[in-house]
Amino acid sequence: MIDSMKYFKRESADAARAEAGSLELEALFLEHWTSVYQILRRLVGDPAEAEDLALEAFLRLYRHNQKKPKVENAGGWLYRVATRLGLNSIREWKRREQYELTAVQYALEETTQLSPAEILAQKEEWRQVRLVLAGMKERQSQLLILRYSGFSYKEIASTLNVTPSSIGPLLVRAEGEFEKKYRALAQGNAPAKKE
Amino acid sequence: MQQHLSDGELRAALDGELDTERAQHIELCASCRARQQQLQMKQLEAGRLFAFLASAEQTGPSAQIAWARFSQQIKKQKERSMTKRWFSMPVVRFAAVALVLLVLILAFPSTRTLAGEILNLFRVQQVQVVSVDFTGLEQLTGDGALGNQFTELLADSVEIEHEPGEPVVAASAQEASQLAGFDVRIPTGMTPSQINVTDNAALSLTVDRARAQALLDEAGRSDLDLPASVDGAEITVSIPAAVSVSFGTCPRPGTDVAGNTEQSTTERRYPDCVILAQMPSPSVNAPADLDIEALARIGLEFTGMTAEEAAELTSTVDWTSTLLVPIPRGGAVHEQVSVDGVTGTLIMRPSSETPQYALLWVKDGIIYAISGLGMDSQQAVEMANGLP
Repeated sequence: MIDSMKYFKRESADAARAEAGSLELEALFLEHWTSVYQILRRLVGDPAEAEDLALEAFLRLYRHNQKKPKVENAGGWLYRVATRLGLNSIREWKRREQYELTAVQYALEETTQLSPAEILAQKEEWRQVRLVLAGMKERQSQLLILRYSGFSYKEIASTLNVTPSSIGPLLVRAEGEFEKKYRALAQGNAPAKKE
Repeated sequence: MQQHLSDGELRAALDGELDTERAQHIELCASCRARQQQLQMKQLEAGRLFAFLASAEQTGPSAQIAWARFSQQIKKQKERSMTKRWFSMPVVRFAAVALVLLVLILAFPSTRTLAGEILNLFRVQQVQVVSVDFTGLEQLTGDGALGNQFTELLADSVEIEHEPGEPVVAASAQEASQLAGFDVRIPTGMTPSQINVTDNAALSLTVDRARAQALLDEAGRSDLDLPASVDGAEITVSIPAAVSVSFGTCPRPGTDVAGNTEQSTTERRYPDCVILAQMPSPSVNAPADLDIEALARIGLEFTGMTAEEAAELTSTVDWTSTLLVPIPRGGAVHEQVSVDGVTGTLIMRPSSETPQYALLWVKDGIIYAISGLGMDSQQAVEMANGLP
């Protein structure tokens, strides 16, 4: 019991430092929440799933900062972890099945210009795109996700820890790889294979 | 003329990310323009396929709402982490095992009538010693994979509703009585070296059958099948304030003397230490439909009894009032003695390095225990008989 009491005392001694960290965390959260959520919302399609994953990304940042030196580029770290979580989510078959139903449901609710048949065709195409993304090398998938989500080269470079001048060549390679895999999947020649 | 641009540079130029000087080359170079057009076609096609990534902002939880949810998660995680670390401590873990065992080995007499949905299941009126094989328990209390799994399960299943706090030193039996809420007794003519009062504690345990069964399986006891009905059952345990009266030079309350690897050192440091502990009976509540009898048999079998032995014991003990004290099979002896006007149990552990003894009895709803090092258990009996 005494051991436990020592532990509780230690916890109290850390409280002030934790409080300061909490304020910092809140500022980070408020600054990045919307972007992180929106990327995931578009990537996985399901709002509830996106919210869970976004919260998980922030939770990981919190845990990381508790145990290790604080990450310097918290925004980049968050986007990297969030996209990884999103890709993992797509890889999980059961969730993907659920996502399909949810994504179609939301698409039908949000889109009025296309017929249901067209929406379903588009969703099928996007499903395949997501599968291909989830089957590619993670760094390449993240690059494509960030770029097509509207990130500048500088922002992508900062997130993926590369130089801005390398983004162009990396994009060319990633798009080439994506095209190859997407064609293979679309033609039914081979399933998307995770590397 | 400038050197031709690489595909990467051409791609950057399409995104407006190439510096102006390099980008000017494209105006002058047909070859680069042609290559860029090819890249642009690919880019447009990719842009079409990735359109869902660039769609208009979707409605979602605001940052403030999300922060509130996140803060809740953090709070829960902190609580869980604290509980988990708490249960990682050997002393607590062993106590928890004893508690789980206690719960497991309680059963109803067949004639018991159920009153209400929740039954006040257990209150100690007597003590009975049962010899068990500690191998299974050591697996659970150790630092191995199974021990860690058990710690995880406890941390997830147990909610501490009231933390007892650090023991408080009382100056006299009277003060200890006021703090603990019951009459503390001290043997006539003896002067305690210290009196400590530990506040009451309360916890609840929600049974996760799947994980508990997985633990049994992991321990190689797949033959023990937990009843499906136990899943989700909530068992609450209330432990009243306890008083520890020390005589001689004793370790601080709560010190893990038993876990000391150098036991002979312990004996040298506390040769004259005798501790008299007293506490009103803890109470255990469980849902009336919980199949405690089946759990009791499983608990006993896990501690090394055969199915027949377990069945025999469960049929002979008044489970609602008997505290079963497990002692290591072959490692301790016990006998019944007459103390304090009731029948008590004297347990002796005649280890060559650190012999120990403990005298347990229950009187007027209070559990008493006198323990010391060495083989002079007679002083425990005399001390008990000297209580006012």
